[in-house]
Amino acid sequence: MNLTAKSNSNKLLIHRDMNPISSLDHSIDIILTPQFYTFIREELDVKFNYQAKQIAQSLFDDYLDHSHEYQYHVYKCDSSWCFLAYNIDKIDAFLQTKGIEKHRVSKIYFAQQLIGQIETPILIDDNSALVNIDNVITIVPTKIIDNSIEYNSLDTKSLKLRGGVTMGSSLNSYVSLKETLLLGTIFTILGGISLFEGERIKHSISKENAKLTELLDENPRYASSMVRESILSKYKPIDKIERLKRDSIKDISKLLSNKSELELLTIDKNRIKATIKAQNGATSREIGKYAKKRHFKLLGSGVDVKVEKKL
Amino acid sequence: MNIMTLQRYKNEIILLFTALFALFGFYYKLSAQSYVEDNKAVIQKQISEIVEIESYKKQWKSKGIANRVNIFKKIVPKSKRKRFSKKSSKVSVSYINLTTNDLNKISNKLLNMPIQIIKLNIAKKSKNNFTMEFTCKW
Repeated sequence: MNLTAKSNSNKLLIHRDMNPISSLDHSIDIILTPQFYTFIREELDVKFNYQAKQIAQSLFDDYLDHSHEYQYHVYKCDSSWCFLAYNIDKIDAFLQTKGIEKHRVSKIYFAQQLIGQIETPILIDDNSALVNIDNVITIVPTKIIDNSIEYNSLDTKSLKLRGGVTMGSSLNSYVSLKETLLLGTIFTILGGISLFEGERIKHSISKENAKLTELLDENPRYASSMVRESILSKYKPIDKIERLKRDSIKDISKLLSNKSELELLTIDKNRIKATIKAQNGATSREIGKYAKKRHFKLLGSGVDVKVEKKL
Repeated sequence: MNIMTLQRYKNEIILLFTALFALFGFYYKLSAQSYVEDNKAVIQKQISEIVEIESYKKQWKSKGIANRVNIFKKIVPKSKRKRFSKKSSKVSVSYINLTTNDLNKISNKLLNMPIQIIKLNIAKKSKNNFTMEFTCKW
């Protein structure tokens, strides 16, 4: 009996002495015989699969070679938990020798999962058979099986399989799943942060934008820079000169005291002029000193202090 | 490219998309920065110019000024007011026989009023007696 893949089958039983597959051009599910996994059934007081999976490694401590890395598959079987440990690298290497490329493998199932479907021994090659012993699927040499027993064949087409594991993108890709998750998460976070930052940066001028829109809504004419410049060029000099005139008058008023009197003050288009009569030379010099500090030009001498400033 | 190939390079595809996402995010951030750098200064300049114009207009083109300048008519007794002329947006006033107090009062009013002083002339005639004339516009 040969249980290797038929051309139209998408399930394949994998065992050590299987024949190589030639020209596999479609994806398949594989069913591993116990030659490729270690099985333990335990009654555990855990409720969820992830809890059972957390303790899977410790359960196999005494059974596995720790120089290799193992993967674990856990599922609930009746009231117990079924634990399967397998080495995906070894399985992959074996599949390669049989001409099965890893990317052709869709899902991996374990012969143990066929427990309800194997009642009589199933011959897998000339020397061994799959046998259900106390609800554990085992490979048994045909030599030790009673000759009177009739072997069944495994109809892979009609098999109903559930709960398989994927080959794992770690083996199908140049980048492992772990690296993919790590780098993918980092890239996603970086992208997210950048988008958030970008949005925040753009938002940082939204206040100014809103204010500008509000101002322009009130005066649409100001949208034109020429109009703005024209208005500013009209008012800026006015503001500057008028402030200067007022400041100068205030400065002149500071030159006055009970020892000095204003004789004349004129403002015309270009200049402001004042004549202050001081009581004596000392006051006159003091007035002159202060006037110079305030950028006035001193004209004449004596007690009549004449000051002038260009506007 | 068939489904199998996609499945085979699933990790690389995921990485490619996440890396593209990160690159897109980074590009978005850079373009946002450049947009803000280019526009912030321009917007702020526009705002400050408009605010400046508004404040200048409020100051030097105030609507109530035409009425406010009437104060120069009443600020001293009529006998001291030689002339008061208000035309369009221009006012010309001249006073005689002003005391120092009158002069200070008128000067303060004039300096605190947002109008353009076109011409101002204050002259002392005798002790505590001044003449004053000014022309202003708004």
